[in-house]
Amino acid sequence: MTDPLVGELVASLARRKASAQVVPAAEAARAAARAMADAGVARAVLADDPLVGDIGLPDALRREGIEALLWPTALSRREMLGLEGPEDSCGVTVPRMAVAERGTAVLGASPGHGRGIDVTNRHHVALLPAGRIVRTLAEALARTFADGHPVPSAVSLVSGPSRSSDIEKISTLGAHGALSEHVVIIT
Amino acid sequence: MSTRRRRASGRVAYPDAHGTLRERTVQALADDTLRGNLETAAASWGESRDAMRRDHGLDAMRDRARDIRRRNIRELPALLSEMQAKVREAGGTVVRAQDGAEAARYITGLARARGVTVVAKSKSMATEEIKLNESLTDAGIEVVETDLGEWILQLAGERPSHIIAPAVHLNRGQVAALFREEAGTDDVPDDREGLVAHARVRLREKFAQAGMGVSGVNLGVASTGTVCIVENEGNARLVTSQPRIHVAVMGMERVVADWDEAAHILQVLPMAAIGQDAANYVNLITGPRREGEADGPEEFHLVIVDGGRGALRGTEFEEALSCIRCGACLYSCPMWKSVGGQAYGSPYSGPIGAVITPLLEGPASPASRDLPFMSSLCGACGEACPVGIPLQDLLVRARARASSPATRRSAVAFRAWSRLWRRPTTYRACMAGWRLMLRARGKGGWVTRLPGPGAGWTQVRDMPSHWPPRP
Repeated sequence: MTDPLVGELVASLARRKASAQVVPAAEAARAAARAMADAGVARAVLADDPLVGDIGLPDALRREGIEALLWPTALSRREMLGLEGPEDSCGVTVPRMAVAERGTAVLGASPGHGRGIDVTNRHHVALLPAGRIVRTLAEALARTFADGHPVPSAVSLVSGPSRSSDIEKISTLGAHGALSEHVVIIT
Repeated sequence: MSTRRRRASGRVAYPDAHGTLRERTVQALADDTLRGNLETAAASWGESRDAMRRDHGLDAMRDRARDIRRRNIRELPALLSEMQAKVREAGGTVVRAQDGAEAARYITGLARARGVTVVAKSKSMATEEIKLNESLTDAGIEVVETDLGEWILQLAGERPSHIIAPAVHLNRGQVAALFREEAGTDDVPDDREGLVAHARVRLREKFAQAGMGVSGVNLGVASTGTVCIVENEGNARLVTSQPRIHVAVMGMERVVADWDEAAHILQVLPMAAIGQDAANYVNLITGPRREGEADGPEEFHLVIVDGGRGALRGTEFEEALSCIRCGACLYSCPMWKSVGGQAYGSPYSGPIGAVITPLLEGPASPASRDLPFMSSLCGACGEACPVGIPLQDLLVRARARASSPATRRSAVAFRAWSRLWRRPTTYRACMAGWRLMLRARGKGGWVTRLPGPGAGWTQVRDMPSHWPPRP
């Protein structure tokens, strides 16, 4: 009954050191808020996507005691970068698509969706409707940049939390971008 | 068109590289820490890359990658025109620079005109090539490398030793010492996680100040005018989203026709470069931020650098332009693994660096003319190349170019040598004489000093006096 692409994506995300959970729409907000609370998140910066309101995420966050700010926020650049204010912040994105075979979220910039939301914050939670999963990168790129559609100013392919192997060739998480990535797959 | 007729396009090699190529090589060979670090790095790359060959069919992807890149280079002028038009349509500025100096001048002038005091950079070999940091620093502008490895090197005052893993020759203790010095405090952790977290905060301070972000370009996609910047750390995204101005510097050969081609190359690149089926972040940027968008740069400038590349089209070296700068040939090269990238004295080291540095500089450059000889011609580079560049053949051609016209003396010597070795009897006589000489000079199975032209060879290694060598 479950879509094989969902299983493949979950496995790929685990390989990329990201976590994932599969939930029905009615439980998505609570699951996302729970995950953030468990990570010690104090402030969430939310993409202004209809999905965020539809699942009731702002209310669920408030119930967990997490401050919820909708994009674009009034934060200063230093606050955005976590140099002032709470360090434990989380960017919440709504990917246009995800690539099952390699665990990649496809984020597109728009007025409601800042291009830095996932990397400026310490944690990253992506809300992904299961119907948006494709198998290959080629499919995702062909759809994103299809003829006739306006090309977004920035598309980010995100495959797991930030890491660097620049010290002794050993992969270490949280180099510049998010220290953790959690994908809530909504069925 | 002959490569010899074109003018030298300026310097690619570092003008301040110390000593000669031979001196740097001998020094590197004597550095046991360096060798240990390089061997560890190459071995871990080899393991991951082999997993890509086994699980993802990396080898089977090579033919298509080669065909795409060959075609791109053949159609380069048309692709660049299309790229340029599309970037402008998206609201960006495109500048075509004939050489590195022109590119650096443009970017420095732009920074000055906009009152920029701090420039945040993500990793880019092209900006190393055009000597951008020197140009900006001379203009009194602070440049901060934000890729962790590049920042470490900037603090150490060193040059990158690998295209992808620039600080691969330094260990954790060396890094911690550099961070303590930069922060002016001993309060810097020793463990890897702690060091990475420390750098994250220090560099975010720079991102908060930077008025301009400068990135390289892994691929340009002509059909939409998009630049692709591939990275793992997230610093390139900060560079391209936080400062008011984004300047992307692209070697003119780094363009593909459309997203079908881009998808293939973007998959091959991380597999060959780091032995992973995906890089963490791929930033696909088309022009500046649009109306209503709250982040992203207000200005986007694409600087396309020729720097001697255009003149290679249609020559016996054209295939070198297919390179996607993955660094696989470096890790697989016994020469690079022994001395590291810094000995080459050029941003581009290893087999591809030994081929292209002298080509981009012009044949007369003393800084790079010996580079093609930094190879044993074993062919491991050609085998590792994910876009099928026959690097060993290019190295031979580059040697021929560096050695011609031949001096009278070397012409006579080579003719005599060829006459001797072409006949089995004289060849065997030579070998017998050689064996006698090795045995006479050998002590405990090894010859440590050879006379005449062999002296250079034994300066840094021994030769077995018997075969197989005694342990």
